[in-house]
Order: sequence, then C-alpha cells, then structure tokens
Amino acid sequence: MIEGTGWLKGFVITFRNMLRGPITVRYPEHKLTLPERSRWAVQQRLNDDGSPRCTACLICVKECPDDVLYIETSAAEGGGKHIDRYVYEIGACMMCGLCVEACPFSAIEMSHEYELATRHGGDLVRVLLQDVDAASPRRERKGEADA
Amino acid sequence: MSDEPVTGVQSILPEGTQPTPMLPKGLKRVPSGVDQLATEHLILNVGPQHPSTHGVLHMLVELDGEEVIAAEADIGFLHRGIEKLAESRRYHQMGTILDRADYVSGFHTETAFALATEKLAEIEVPRKASWIRSLVMELNRCASHYVWLGPVGMDAGAMAPFLYLMREREMILDVLEAISGSRMMFNYVRPGGVVRDLPAGIDAPLRAWLAIADKYLGETEDLLGGNEIFRARMKGVGVIAPETALAFGMSGACLRSSGIDFDLRKARPYCAYGEIDFDVPLGTVGDAFDRYKVRVEEIHQSVRIVRQLLDGMPEGEHTSKVAKALRPPAGEVYAAVESPRGELGIHLISDGGPTPYRLRLRSPAYYNLGVADELLAGGLIADMIVSLGSLDIVLGEIDR
Repeated sequence: MIEGTGWLKGFVITFRNMLRGPITVRYPEHKLTLPERSRWAVQQRLNDDGSPRCTACLICVKECPDDVLYIETSAAEGGGKHIDRYVYEIGACMMCGLCVEACPFSAIEMSHEYELATRHGGDLVRVLLQDVDAASPRRERKGEADA
Repeated sequence: MSDEPVTGVQSILPEGTQPTPMLPKGLKRVPSGVDQLATEHLILNVGPQHPSTHGVLHMLVELDGEEVIAAEADIGFLHRGIEKLAESRRYHQMGTILDRADYVSGFHTETAFALATEKLAEIEVPRKASWIRSLVMELNRCASHYVWLGPVGMDAGAMAPFLYLMREREMILDVLEAISGSRMMFNYVRPGGVVRDLPAGIDAPLRAWLAIADKYLGETEDLLGGNEIFRARMKGVGVIAPETALAFGMSGACLRSSGIDFDLRKARPYCAYGEIDFDVPLGTVGDAFDRYKVRVEEIHQSVRIVRQLLDGMPEGEHTSKVAKALRPPAGEVYAAVESPRGELGIHLISDGGPTPYRLRLRSPAYYNLGVADELLAGGLIADMIVSLGSLDIVLGEIDR
C-alpha cells in the first residue's frame, strides 16, 4: 500500500510536462540564433575595400586583463604604422569584451563564432592581421565623421 | 539472564561489559580498537569530486556505522586568489574576476563592487541604472535558486524537478545573455551604471517567463514539498537554532529560515529596492524543510519584484560619466548586497591609485558553511547530504 498522494501528483505533473514539447534542438542540423550582444571570439572589422580599420594604437592590448592580444608593428614606408602581426590567443580569451569596448576605432568586434573546439593546439593562436599597413588614426576618424 | 535477545552493540560485547559513552566531539581519527569498543570508527572522505557536494568541497566525516560522529569541511580546492588578483585590475575590469567568485549569481558580486566603488569615488548613479541592476539581480536570484532547488531535490532522491527547473532557468539565462552578452560571466555592471541599456525587445521573453514562473514553480512545489518522501527527508533535519545562526555569522535564507528577519534589501535598501513592494519570507524551525520553503517563497517574491521593475522601468541614461582610468580617492568603504546566499559584501581600500589597494570579499556561503561541523555531527550520513545541500554553498565564492 502506497501512503499519501505525492506519487499521484508526481505522475500528473510529469504527464503534463510530457505534453509541453521539447526545449532542445537537433544541434548540428538546427541551430539557435544567438542574441545580438552575445560575446564569442574576437574578430577584425575591415573597411569595405578590405583594408583594416585597426590603427595599431595598442589600446586593446593594454586593456586585456589576460594579455591575449599582441601586436607587432614596424614603421610603414610612407610614414605611419605597419602591422606585422596581430595575434589573438583565443585559447586564453575569456570573451569579456573589454577590448572591443575600449577600441576607439571600432576595429574589432565580438563575433558569434561559438564552435571553437579544435584538434590542434596551434589553432588556439590566431593571426588576425598580417603584414598590412595600419589605418591612419586621422583618416579613420574623418571617415567616421563622414558616415 | 533475561530471555530477551541481546541486540545492537551489546551483542558483540563480551558478556557483562557496558558500551563506553560516545566519544567527545571533534575529529579524532581513532585507530582500530583504541576506543575499547569492538567497532571501528570510519573516516570517510566525501569529495572533493563527489556528486553530492555541490562543488569541490571535501568533507572529512567520522562515522560510527551510519551515524556521523564528527565532520570537518576542507575547503580551498577552487582558490584562485581573486582578492589578490583584484589588486592588479582597474576598477572597470573587475567584473571579469568577480563574476567568477559566485559563478551562480555573478550580478550580485558585480553590483556589490560597483556600489563600493561609487561610495568611494562619490559617483551618482542614474535611476535607470539602479533599476536595471535590480532587475538583473532578481532574475539572477531566481536562476540561482532554481539551480539550488533542483540539486537539493536530487540529494533527497528526486530527479524530475531538477530537469524542469533547468528548463525554466534556461529562459532566464537567455534573457540575461540578451542583456549582458553572456550567460553567466556577465561583465555588465560597472561603477557608474551598466555597460549598455536594456536591448529592444527584451520585454517579450521576460514576460513569457513571468507568465509561467509562478505556475511552473507551483508544480515543482507539488513535486517536492507535496511529496511525503521529500518531506520526511527534509523535516527536522539540519536544524539551526537562531542563536547558532547568529553566532556563525550566517545570513540570507539560512538565517531567515531560523526566524531572524534580516534582509539587506529591507534593512539597508540599495538600488531600486527602496521603491519596490515585496515580502521577506521567514521560517520557524530552522530545518532543511524551512530553508526549502523560504527559498521557494523568495522566488515567488522575486517574480513579483521583476514584474514591478519591468512595469515601472524609468527612462533616462543607463550610466553616468565615469573616467575609464578611474582613480578613487584614498579611503576605505564597505558595501553589501543581498545575494541568493546572503550578505555579499565588498570591503574596498584605495590608496588613490588606478587599482584597489585591497579588496576583501565577504562571502556569505563561507559563513554559512562554517556551521557544517556543528550541524552534521550526531546526524545520519544520508541526512548529511541533505543538510549540506540545504545550506546552498557555492565553492567558487567560498574559496575565492
């Protein structure tokens, strides 16, 4: 003999929940859309002509609490800065978004790239920019004013 | 000799001897045979990787059969040196580590730090920012209580409520992700306000959760509190007397379930709580079942608060102008918020530099766990899991 009515309530509520439908999706085939503000891997924003918006001012590098960003620069031929490498250590990044907040030129953004598992440790260090001239801060500001 | 059969300890003792009284309290690690009894006390290691310890908690338990003679909590497995790390982070970067202290309700730690910094640097916070903070904190409180309620049901042997509560928690986390950009590591509340205004269209998913929150929670109450087995497992287990709770510096639902009416939201209102109407549920006995009842009622009250906040959300700026390289004047402040676990305080000392000179985190779960040695001794080992679970410990915050 089962005492009490708790078991009966359990059956009723479980049955009710069975009718409420699934809350999961079949992942690789179906994907949920992320909210616009979701923060995942950092990526570069480029101008329409494919040139970087980055001016190599190093504010993002100084802002990052975990030092996952690294920029090597040299002097460009026609004056200004040349970006040898813009390195992003995604394996150590916690996706806090402080670098993106700090960037005065909106040259980087938090992407929605969340499938970050990899077989090779080398993939955890990404070179976002390589061997390009940095944007001139003055031209960049002017461009923003025009837009 | 009487005809009655000899049972229990008596049956294995030499005839005529009496069992020695129980050992005095405190862990003894007695080797076999020393206590004159033929039985051996067993030292059992529960955790740090154990499904019933709610995190990486190591419990050393001395057992006499099923009975717990003494228990000792061994903490520190999740120590990351958050207080020390804080000394090298600038004020606006602090969210990134404070989210990882109490990882179940990051908004409370973030807000406590923001309140402390604002007190120190005398920053005015716009009314809207305060309301947004209250909103996200109450949502976070519900998410945190859900993730307590489910596992404590599992401690007592109920599986279904856990999965149903995870489903509801997911609705809250989706809203919090839309607001802050991350499901748990928010980094959203800053000194001066919040990073961004509430996103457009956040009303709909929030109202969708509000519409079902009370109803679905009622069902969970039927599944847990309405179940005889759960009641039998929780009632009279892990009783904390009001004096004990005060003596150990407990706070939050653990304190209120012992009948002491202390809620920082009422006692020292911060953010929008002064303008909001809500009740503080109290317990009477102070057992695990009271703690369950208090927390469930707190979710109902949080739903009430969220509804009021959403209806009365003021217009205006979401943050005041604060310098990026904030250098508060030298001084010392303490600010606290009512986190799901209790009084979460930030004691901040500045020497006028760009980073805090010292940051101390008053972790409520640490004080609540302190009572464990007192609480578990004399109970049964199965009750130990329930008692411990009912305290709502988060090791990230205890170890810091």
